[in-house]
This record gives sequence, structure tokens and C-alpha cells, in this order.
Amino acid sequence: MRRWYVIGAPYLWLLLFFLVPFFIVFKISLSEIATAIPPYTPTVDLAEGWAGFKSFFSQLDFENYAFIFSDPLYVGAYWSSVKIAAVATFFTLLVAYPVAYGMARAPKDWQATLMMLVILPFWTSFLIRVYAWMGILKKEGLLNMFLMNMGVISEPLTILNTTTAVYIGIVYSYLPFMILPLYSSLEKIKPSLLEAAEDLGSPPWKAFWQVTFPLSLPGVFAGCLLVFIPAVGEFVIPDLLGGSDTLMIGKTLWSEFFNNRDWPVSSAVAVVLLLVLVIPIVLFQRMQQRQQEAAS
Amino acid sequence: MNTRFSWFNVTSIVLGFAFLYIPILLLVIYSFNDSKLVTVWGGWSTKWYEGLLKNDALIDAAGVTVRVALVSATIATILGTLAAIVLIRLGRFRGRTLFSGLVFAPLVMPEVITGLSLLLLFVALGFDRGFWTVTIAHATFSMCFAAVVVQSRLLDFDKSVEEAAMDLGAPPLRTFMEVTLPIIAPAVISAWLLAFTLSLDDLVIASFTTGPGATTLPIKIYSQVRLGVTPEINAISTVMIAFVTVGVLLASYMTKRSSMLREREKRAVDAGAA
Amino acid sequence: MAANAPVAEAGAAKPASAAHKPAGRTPAPQSNFAPWKDPAKQPIVRFENVTKRFGDFIAIKNCSLDIYEREFFALLGPSGCGKSTLLRMLAGFEKPTEGRIIVGGKDITDLAPYERTDVNMMFQSYALFPHMSVEKNIGFGLRQDGMAKADIDVRVAEAMALLELEKFAARKPHQLSGGQQQRVALARAIAKKPRIMLLDEPLGALDKRLRQQAQFELMRIQETTGTTFIIVTHDQEEAMTVASRIAVMNHGELVHIATPGDIYEFPQSRYVAQFIGDVNVFEGKVTSIADGSVEIDWPAGGSSFTAAAVGGLSTGQQVWLAMRPEKVRISLSKPTAPCNTIPGKVIDVGYLGSISHYHVRVASGQTVTALRANSAQTVEQNIKWDDDVWLEWPYDAGMVLDK
Repeated sequence: MRRWYVIGAPYLWLLLFFLVPFFIVFKISLSEIATAIPPYTPTVDLAEGWAGFKSFFSQLDFENYAFIFSDPLYVGAYWSSVKIAAVATFFTLLVAYPVAYGMARAPKDWQATLMMLVILPFWTSFLIRVYAWMGILKKEGLLNMFLMNMGVISEPLTILNTTTAVYIGIVYSYLPFMILPLYSSLEKIKPSLLEAAEDLGSPPWKAFWQVTFPLSLPGVFAGCLLVFIPAVGEFVIPDLLGGSDTLMIGKTLWSEFFNNRDWPVSSAVAVVLLLVLVIPIVLFQRMQQRQQEAAS
Repeated sequence: MNTRFSWFNVTSIVLGFAFLYIPILLLVIYSFNDSKLVTVWGGWSTKWYEGLLKNDALIDAAGVTVRVALVSATIATILGTLAAIVLIRLGRFRGRTLFSGLVFAPLVMPEVITGLSLLLLFVALGFDRGFWTVTIAHATFSMCFAAVVVQSRLLDFDKSVEEAAMDLGAPPLRTFMEVTLPIIAPAVISAWLLAFTLSLDDLVIASFTTGPGATTLPIKIYSQVRLGVTPEINAISTVMIAFVTVGVLLASYMTKRSSMLREREKRAVDAGAA
Repeated sequence: MAANAPVAEAGAAKPASAAHKPAGRTPAPQSNFAPWKDPAKQPIVRFENVTKRFGDFIAIKNCSLDIYEREFFALLGPSGCGKSTLLRMLAGFEKPTEGRIIVGGKDITDLAPYERTDVNMMFQSYALFPHMSVEKNIGFGLRQDGMAKADIDVRVAEAMALLELEKFAARKPHQLSGGQQQRVALARAIAKKPRIMLLDEPLGALDKRLRQQAQFELMRIQETTGTTFIIVTHDQEEAMTVASRIAVMNHGELVHIATPGDIYEFPQSRYVAQFIGDVNVFEGKVTSIADGSVEIDWPAGGSSFTAAAVGGLSTGQQVWLAMRPEKVRISLSKPTAPCNTIPGKVIDVGYLGSISHYHVRVASGQTVTALRANSAQTVEQNIKWDDDVWLEWPYDAGMVLDK
């Protein structure tokens, strides 16, 4: 049947290049580091046939996981990644909500342009946008220079290479991901609903909490997931803006892989990270599907 | 309505956009700084740009990056468009839930996981790492973004237009080529542009999956950025920003035009029905 | 195609509702065009025990239906009754779960939409191709058949002339009004000269005035082309106006198939009587059956009625007497008629200009509607709110229904 060709091409591609790799990661997380190419053992020796498989499986174990959970460095990194991502997500929401609200209430002719202006930074390189903040936040950077010239501070602040800088980086980089879903749910709220609320005796600020905010919750939810999930595994931001005491698991995985060349342990780190994120990812998935079904 | 709050709306929009754009603007401005010190203004100069032109390693990396982006964006757009059609038009089939999971998960998957897992796959398959492994990796994650873009266009276009084509005697493939594709073309083009810039920008996945001779621009920039802020990097960054901005403006012009046409269409129908 | 038959015959196929017809068209005897009464005639469309399920939901329940060449056939029912599904199965967009669909003697159940050359459809949303001009839209189907360019141009010009679209040939759909889009959609399907035209709520998006105009246009085109039209609609007036026969549907079943006149005057069930037009219903029991008439006891009103007999009734059976409001006479003094007179009190008067509605509460507590033409030119109504009145109707004005 022809429809299976249409389904088959993207399906097989994603199976091979997205799903299968996870099983390989899982398999290697059960292996041991070795000074070889590839740098882990065991590998399946197909020449030995069934015996090769048997010896392969008998050599797999959960040692790397035991190692990760016994080392406070890893456990701490997971915990602080989740914490930093959660706090940063909250701040992103605080910054994004008024902007999205303002956009949704802007004159209709302006909205498309404003939308584009929100999306534009998202299209420019992530790396460059994070890099831009290095020049602003460092000790002799533009922010300190500005504040000292204004007379607000006399001594330069240390912001770069602290967790604060990581928060700023995440809020800045992920802001469009929060604004867009918020805007699309706020924009759907008919002004007549607020007029009705006011007509029925609710003052504007109360009408906001009683009508606008509850109706924007799907957008809040979507935006938070879109920011939180990738932020937990973020590497570039903590690496460039964070300090040596800013523990984040993406950075740990990176250095485990590139500096220590320990593929089995970095695989185990990735598997555990995936487990940490499995609930928010499933929630996100459900949301996408529901949206699709509602629309089709 | 809500004129009482317009000062609030305007302020929040202005502050929000200032936050989004000032860092980029500063970066662009300081790329024209004559002084080597990033924070001291030493007058206007284009010497850092001239320096870029002489930096062969950088130009090589830019070449690799653009080639990877061109190929991976094309693969991603084809596969992403097919995926969107599967999700929106083909109804239920066995394995649909898994499929939609596979399409949406890469959107939020931390890049370190995607990068590591793809690298391990390539090693397991015995692929030589280089141009093609980076390209495949980029095609994989950007096809999901492409699928989302095309999907949203497919969602708001009337399925009966396709049915009409079939009713008038066009078999499925002809229907797709003569009716569906022309209608969703703006979305397909912006999907391609999105995939292209995603590939252009990516550092993490490329770092994992690259090999000798396939150093991309972000990898190059990253290795220099770690050493600190320099005017050269500001200059490269500015070039990349300019490149992408032009592309996005072009794409948004096209989608805006087509959505304006659609809007007018709708208004005409409404007027007819009123 | 029976192109040799006189065109007027098809026009005469829609009798009864003369009030909706333009002046000068007198209803001809039904026998002129009634192929469904001719056992020798082969239907052009035949649904054979067709059932359609979507998961657990049964959209169509074992439908069998014959439609004949040059009919203007209406599928009528509330939304969700399955009428669109039936039409979409004929076009090929849905496949029957069980049963067969036969067109022109050929089983087309398994054919894809683009393989069904005898059938073309006009969509509710018009489904015009937004990227093609009017001309290109109309020629689309012909290009699919690989017709020569010159022939396509002729056919497109013909279709545009038929629907007076020549002026708009180069326009894109979004540059047209709703009524113009509707005509392009019709022209596009008609250009393929199908034997059967399917119309899915073709006039649903038009406002009332435009709709009435478009109904007559549909009839004109059906007559000039001699095509079999099958229309899906939820608007009973529209079905009555255009159709030679109507199939009333409910919950995926065909409940009554007949000419508009028969459906209105002789519905087979309370559902049909209430769906087509207004009706007053009295519940009662048959007390006696004499030749040509039945006596019905009406316990709720403490009275009894006489009505024209229908076959299959027995004494003691529960029945419903259905009365169209325009057949109920209303007067201030007690009529002298021997039967079917009941007293009541006016609770509401609806003045509509040409006619007035009277809502009268009767002894059973139910409200009976009577209709009266305002034949005298006066705004003074002699029957007013709260008046005690008498309702009366002749014995052959009501319909006795057993379901």
C-alpha cells in the first residue's frame, strides 16, 4: 500500500536515528571503560556466535549506576540541575507573562510583527546569544561599567561565573519558548469575557486573576515544559556563564565524555537524566497529542 | 478595550524587547570597535572583519557548516513534511502513538542526550565520523521542528480541498503535487529555513557527532569563546546574525503574505455568509 | 444519459409545495415523472444493505436506497443523522463497513474517489483551490482526464456561461463573494459532466435571501443538464423546494422516502411529521373503525375525534392524530360541524403579516397551534389573547399515525 511508503520514510528514520540510539546508550551504560576503540567493553563478538552473546550479556552490570548514585558529585549535579531549571523557569514565566499579555492586547496590525520580533532571536545562534552575555556580565563588562558610571555601585559586581549568570542566561535564551505559547493562549481570550467580568462587578485586577489567568493556564503549562525540560540538560549556559561551583548535569556529562573519555559512565549519566525528565516529557507529549486531536 | 492598561502593555513590551535585543545589539556594535579591549570603545573600525577574511580555518569551518546545513535542512524538510502529513492526514494506524512520540520528543530532548546517543549509534554501526554523521544528526532533530511547522499549516487548511481534487479525478500523488504542496509551500519553505538555521547554530550535537575535517563554525567559535570575549568573535557572530536575520525576514515576509491572502479569503467567505 | 427526454418533465417532478414555486409554474400530475413507481426502470444509484461504523459508533444502519436517473434527490435530517456519511460513501471518501454501492449497474464499493468518473461532488465549504483562478479551478477535473487543451477551454467556457461566471474567470477564490464561490464550486463539478452530482449542504453558508435564489439556480441547472442530483441538507424547506423525492434520515436510518407532498401530507411517523413543518399531535386510542373513517378516543381532552382511516389499524390500538396548523380552523363561536370541535383559550398570538399563529390551550393542557391567513386588510385582530375560542377541522384533515 502506498500510504506505508509515506509513513515508512520518516518512521524508519526516527526509529534508527532517535529510538535505537537510546537502547545503545542503555547497553553501553552497562559496560565498562576500556582503553580500546571503541573505549568500552564488552563488545559483541559475532564470530563466536551464541557463546559470544552469552559472554557479552554476562559481562554487563549496573556498576556505573551504583557509582553515580554513591558519588555526591553526580547526585548533587542532578539535584541542582533540576533546582536551577525550576527557578529559571519560574523567572522566565515572570518576565514572559507581561510581554505576552502586552502582545495579545496590542493592536491587531502589530501582532504579526511583534510575533516575528519574538521569534527572530530564537533563530540567531544560541551560542552567540549566550556569548553576548559574557561581555555584559563580566567584571570589567558593560553592565558593571554602566552601573558604576551611573553611580549605583562603586565596586564592580561579580556576576559572570556564578549561578546568577546561569539564571540570566536561561531566562534570556528560553524567553521566546515561554512567550509564544503564552501569547497564543492569551490571544484566544475574547475581550468580551473581561468586559462581562467587569460588568458583573469584578475590578480589572480581580478579573485578571478570575478570568484571564485561569484561561491562560494551558499556555503557562506548555511554556514551562518547553523551558524546563531542555534547561535541565543545558550545557552551553552553565559552561560559559556558570562558575566552577555551578553544578549542572549537562556539563558533567560533557566533561565525563570529552575530558575523561568515560563513555560507559556518561551513558549512565544520560540514562538517569532521561529518567529524571521522563515525567515532564510524557506530559509534553500528551499535550501535543491533545492539541492535535482537538484540531483535527 | 483596556485602554486604561495600555501604558502597562507598552512598557512590558518595550522592556521585554529591550531585554531580548540589547545584548545582541551590543555584540554587533562592539564588533566594530577599534580597541582590542572589549569594554573600551576605541572608535569605529572594520578591521576585525578584514581579519576574518584572512582566517582560513574559520572560512573552512564556515564552508563545512553551510554545506551541512544545506543538506541536513533538505533531508529534514522532506522527512518533516512527510511526518506532518502522516500525523494530520493519515488517521489512525498501528504504531501512531509511538510515531508521534518520536516526532515530538526531540523538540525538548536535552541536546547532550541526543548528541551522545547518536554518536554511540554511529560508533556501533562503524560509520566514519565527519560530514555525513553531523548531517544525519542535524537532519534528525531538525526534521521534528520542520514537522511542527508544516503540521500547523496542515491543521488549518480544509481537508475537503484535497477531497475535491480526488473527486475531480486526481490520484493521491497528483493531489499532493498539484493541490496540497502549492498550498502548504510557504510553511515548507519556512520549515526549511528553520532547519537550516538550527543546523547552522548547533554546537552540542555537532561536537558529539563530528570527526576530523568536519569542524563546524559553532565548534570553532566555542573553542575560542572559552578563552574569553574577543572582537573577532563579535565579528563572526555579527556576520551569522546578519545572515540569519535576512533569511528570517524573507521567510516571515512570505508566510505573512500567504496568511494575509488566507485572511482575505476568510473575510470574503464571511462577507458572503453574512 | 437520457438526454432525449423533454426537460420540462424533470421540472414537473417537484409537485405539491406550490407556494414555494415561482408564479406560472403549475404543479403537474406526479405520474409524469415517477421512475421509482416503474418496476422496469433500473436505478442509477443503488445502496444495498449499506452499514457504516466508525469504531463503536454506527453512522449508517443497514440502508437500502434506489435513486433514478434525472431525479433531484434530497437526503434530509438533523446534523449527525448520517446523511453526509451516505453521500461521502457514494463519492468514495468513506468505505461501507458492510453492503454494496452500485452505480449504473456497476459495483463501485471498492473504487477510490478519483476512479469514480460518474460521480462528482460539490462541497459544503466549496473546497476551491486557493492558488488557482476560477478558470483553473473549473478546468481542474478536465485536466485530470487528460483532455485536450482546446476541449477543456470549451467546456470551461460552457460551465462559466451556465453559471454566469465569465466576468470572474481570472480571479482567485479569495477575491469572490460567498455566492460567487458557491457558483464556482458548482461549475467545477458540473464541468466534468458527471451522471450524478452530489451536493453536500451546498447552500449552507449563504444567507437566507441568497439561498432561495441559489435553490432555483440549482433546479435550473439540474433541468438543463439532465443530471441526477443528490443533495444533503438539514433545511426542510430547501428539500421541499428542490427535490423530486426526499429521504428523511434519523440516527443512521432512512425513516421515510417519498415525494415532498407525500412526506408533508402523509408522513409515516410522528418523527417525520414533526421534522417536516409544524404539527399538533393528539395521543389516543382507536375505538371503532367504520368504512373510510376511524373514531379515536382522546382521554386527555375528554373528547373524541373522527379521522380518515388508514390501513392496518385495529380497535384499541394506541395512535397519534397529527394535524397541520393550517388545517385547524379557529373561531369565536362554536362551529356547527358534527365532529372534531374542541374549546380552548388563546394564550399567544403571533402576527407574521401574511398569516397569524394562534396558540390555544385546550382541555388536555397541551397547546394547539392554528394558522389563519390575514385576508382582510386590517391590523385589528378579532381574536385576541385570553379569548375563549373553538378549534375545528374536517375529518380528513388529520393523519393517523401508529408510531
